[in-house]
Amino acid sequence: MRKKLIPYLLVSPYLIHFIVFVAFPVGFSIYLTFNNWNIISPMEYTGLSNYKRLFQDAIFWKSLLNTLIFLVIHIPLQIIFALLLAELLNQKIKFRGFFRAAFFLPVIVSGVVVTILWQQLYGFDTGLLNRLLVKIGLAKIGWLTDPNWSMPSIAVMATWKNVGLYIVLFLVGLQTVPPQYYEAAELEGATHLQKFFRITLPMINPTIFMVVILSTIGGFSLFIEPYVMTGGGPLNSTVSAVLYIYKQGFFYYHMGYASTLGFFFALLILAVVMIQKKFIEKDK
Amino acid sequence: MLSCSSDTQVRDAKIIYWSSNNTEEIQFARYIVDNWNHNNPLERVMFQPVPEGQSSEEIILAAVVGETTPDIYSNMWEGDVEAYAQAGVLIALDTLAGFMDFLHERCDSFVIAEVTSIDGHIYQIPWKINPIMMIYNRNIVRSLGLKSVPKTYFDFFEAAKKFQKDIDGDGYIDQWFGYSEVLVTWWQRFFDFYPLYLAASGGASLVKNNKAVFNNEDAIKVLEFLREVYKKNYFAKERLSARQDVFLDGVIATRFTGPWEISHSEKFKPKGFDYSFQSMPVPDDHVGPVYTYGDPKNIVIFKTCPDPNLAWRFLKQALSEENESKLLEITNQLPRRKNLDSNPKYAGYFEKNPKMKIFAEQAKYVKGTDQSPVLKEVFDLISQEYEACVIYGKKTPREALNDAEKAVNLLFLK
Repeated sequence: MRKKLIPYLLVSPYLIHFIVFVAFPVGFSIYLTFNNWNIISPMEYTGLSNYKRLFQDAIFWKSLLNTLIFLVIHIPLQIIFALLLAELLNQKIKFRGFFRAAFFLPVIVSGVVVTILWQQLYGFDTGLLNRLLVKIGLAKIGWLTDPNWSMPSIAVMATWKNVGLYIVLFLVGLQTVPPQYYEAAELEGATHLQKFFRITLPMINPTIFMVVILSTIGGFSLFIEPYVMTGGGPLNSTVSAVLYIYKQGFFYYHMGYASTLGFFFALLILAVVMIQKKFIEKDK
Repeated sequence: MLSCSSDTQVRDAKIIYWSSNNTEEIQFARYIVDNWNHNNPLERVMFQPVPEGQSSEEIILAAVVGETTPDIYSNMWEGDVEAYAQAGVLIALDTLAGFMDFLHERCDSFVIAEVTSIDGHIYQIPWKINPIMMIYNRNIVRSLGLKSVPKTYFDFFEAAKKFQKDIDGDGYIDQWFGYSEVLVTWWQRFFDFYPLYLAASGGASLVKNNKAVFNNEDAIKVLEFLREVYKKNYFAKERLSARQDVFLDGVIATRFTGPWEISHSEKFKPKGFDYSFQSMPVPDDHVGPVYTYGDPKNIVIFKTCPDPNLAWRFLKQALSEENESKLLEITNQLPRRKNLDSNPKYAGYFEKNPKMKIFAEQAKYVKGTDQSPVLKEVFDLISQEYEACVIYGKKTPREALNDAEKAVNLLFLK
């Protein structure tokens, strides 16, 4: 009997943690999707009405579109800059250690701090970027006040904040490329560009896919930047899906509806990641 | 959290009272609780400031959910009360002996109607207000050659036109007549649309009997005014809040704000800076008193209270004229009671604080919020349309109000 219990006891810390912090919250939130609950009043069973509302909720679909716009700008930018900088930092340059640390610095700085700093840069009248534009004779841009510019502005800022992490990942990838490949290519008279496109890129393909997956998941959880910077405006152009779910849940206390949005959104991320995973496996 | 109370107090306390957690209100709460405990040693009240959190609303909600509410809470935003009342966690105060007599003596019928819940009961005691008014830079008003500070939309536009300026010659305005946060966050409308709507309409409601009633000519005038203000660049569209105080810096000449601005301005104003307050601007054809939003914070008793009658006796004493004189002195916030500006008990305070007298005079014409459990959503929906109409000019005032009305009425259909 004792022998039988010991394995269960050994796995119990994980099991307890899993039940309390994963299984129960997930199960409870799925249960909530069929109810209306504002926390202070008793729950009210509403069947599928939260799901019906989701499909008719124009702002939720706009928030998904906004998130997609963010991803479309953010992911390519992230990959291009991270790869470019990783390639540079992989060369024998002066102060290489310093630059590697410097590019990683924004990653460890709080998102709120970064957002507030960029808010100053993006200011319409007093922001540094617009002052620069005016100095060179160009018109000011409403980085955060023009609905067409606000999400791209946030995507650029998010890229600046996260690029350091992906530089490190690419550096690891670049250092796994066997140097003899380059030596052989040099003997054949290959240029730098040829070496980069014919050797480096194919060899670090798995890293690129990993960066795509990590940036996609990170991008889907876009929250701090629009929450602090724009509050979702102007004209709902920066309401991300997570910001909208947060608003429904912790602002209006529509816990049932927020759970429904969250559940649907989780399924969407799962689908996207599964598609991406399939590509990676094919590649391997 | 119990720093203000001795162990004996905690053990013997019959009532637990939470106040706001700002320094002045803690000081005031200590004063009234110490007085009560001194005179009523067998019916002691324990005081705690509301625990720290992102907002006191969030803490109260958590306390309600966890059934750890205090017996009395004295900083409840009026707009939150209806949701709690409908959840059945508040005591209907009108069922307590002597409450209605007290209320009639303290407040006029307009205020009593305002705090009466949808079910006809009263769950809150009107306590204190911070009316929203227009602060203005007197030096600028003088330098513009104006006879007086603008009171109507026309005067406001005229003054704004004279004041706006492109200082650095880059082709963009960098000195505006006023400023209001352009963020779509619902409560930002307490500082522009809502007080202007109350001013224009003589204190009309936004929602009544679970129906939107704000789609009217007064609201149109307000949106037209604000739209023009942004279209003509009289207000900045950029967020100026992260900069050094733009009002004290002279970058803007006016702002819609509350009495808390006085202590801030007195502390940080540059030498020679001269300012005062004026009622909210009104349409040119406006007649009658000029109302505004009062930002009322009220007192409630939770159903977890073991002795509501004792809680009520304590509150009656806490809300005495003498104690509210202390409230004024310590917190510089106005008690919501009749004849505030003419009551001799407060004359000394207003003599010492002449700028607060302006707010006391305005206090006769303030409104809080309508009773609705979905008030935040109502403000949020109005704010969305406000943004589309006023800030970005994408909708006419009529279209914006029609859309807001439809969306708000949908809330009540649920």
